[in-house]
Amino acid sequence: MAEKKPAKTETPSYEAAREELIDVVRRLEAGGTTLEESLALWERGEALATICQDWLDGARQRLDAAIEADEG
Amino acid sequence: MAMETSLESPAPVRQIANAIAGWVDRLGAVWVEGQVAQVNRRPGMSTVFMTLRDAVADISVTVTCSRTLFDSLNPPVVEGASIVVNAKPSYYANRGTISLYARDIRMVGLGELLARLERRRQLLAAEGLFAPELKRPLPFLPGTVGLVTAPNSAAERDVLENARRRWPAVTFEVAYAAMQGQRSASEVIEAVERLDRNPAVDVIVVARGGGSVEDLLPFSDEALIRAVHAVRTPVVSAIGHEPDQPLLDLVADVRASTPTDAAKLVVPDVAEEQRSVTHARDRVRGAVRGWLAREQAGLDALRSRPALADPRTLLDARLAEIDQLRDRARRTVGHSLDRAADDIGHQRARARALSPLATLQRGYAVLQDADGHVLTSIDGVEAEQLISVRVADGRIHATTTSTTPTTRETDG
Repeated sequence: MAEKKPAKTETPSYEAAREELIDVVRRLEAGGTTLEESLALWERGEALATICQDWLDGARQRLDAAIEADEG
Repeated sequence: MAMETSLESPAPVRQIANAIAGWVDRLGAVWVEGQVAQVNRRPGMSTVFMTLRDAVADISVTVTCSRTLFDSLNPPVVEGASIVVNAKPSYYANRGTISLYARDIRMVGLGELLARLERRRQLLAAEGLFAPELKRPLPFLPGTVGLVTAPNSAAERDVLENARRRWPAVTFEVAYAAMQGQRSASEVIEAVERLDRNPAVDVIVVARGGGSVEDLLPFSDEALIRAVHAVRTPVVSAIGHEPDQPLLDLVADVRASTPTDAAKLVVPDVAEEQRSVTHARDRVRGAVRGWLAREQAGLDALRSRPALADPRTLLDARLAEIDQLRDRARRTVGHSLDRAADDIGHQRARARALSPLATLQRGYAVLQDADGHVLTSIDGVEAEQLISVRVADGRIHATTTSTTPTTRETDG
């Protein structure tokens, strides 16, 4: 029932990753997926969460760097 | 009638003053022509004071007249106007000043001077030299500010000081030129063009303090207006005070009311700019920080959902299901085994009940002949015959000695 995702190689944009993550969580909570699928979904969810976190950390680092450079 | 005074009997001031007054009066009423250099008309004062300057020589005299007369003049008397007055000299004893008291004032020349200016303005306007679309915007932060003004004049000081106060790092290129008299127009032209040729100069300010219409005439000079129209660099005209409006004001890209105002127009207040830049940057950072916080919160919320945070919940559900199934399976199997066991138990009991073993155990034995037949009667059994006796726990091999029939059960 889990449809094939587009190529997962290149990192999706933050918004794309976030949207997909919301969808994954919704489907996991809706249940009705086979064990195999829910495991796959869950793994996908973890991967997406990490991607989002990386984007946010990157943004924060750039912001802090700008501020430090300013105060340095 | 010379007065007799001497060292010994000097005359008092008042006597001398009166004498002077008398002589002065003897001039009587005269028609005088001159140029109005200054007009002093203060509200509430019934007398208007004017300085009338000789058209050629550097000589001037104070002229007074009643305000009603002054106000009735049309066109009105303005500084720089040439007028003819019918006045009588009067000596003001208290302060020992002489002034001409005018009883009639006639415009001369100014009308046609202003008319000439007006015609020139209309001519140049018709040529489109004053067209608003030609006005170039001033550079926000000029590299070098070109300044055309009279050497160490108030105008120069105003522009330099104000500009530097607003932006200490401002650089000036000052081109001095006569700001009054015949050569003024040509010198200003030459200065403006020189500054225009200098690529470093991003804006040119032509600054001069206040003056009469005559003084400001050079700044309505046609050649100057055409020169300013032709230059590439934006020009700021800062001539005279607020009301003055030489033609230069119309052709310049920007008109400043005074030299100080010009300084404010060409140079931003850096401290103010710095504050707004810092303010803007802080707001940008605040916005990004806010956005980041919101997105982080959203992501944390998502990650804390059980489906992601603790996948075991998924498995637990299934594990529970499996356990349940297993238990049920076990239970059903258990039941069926029990039933089977009961069944077997019954069968065994019955088998046992039917099986001779129990009888044997009660002390009975089963005789069998050599080839295994069960002997149930003494018939056919001879002596010395090999027989086996099956008792509960095994077999006894024996040979018969004899047989004896039994009577009815009572021998049992």
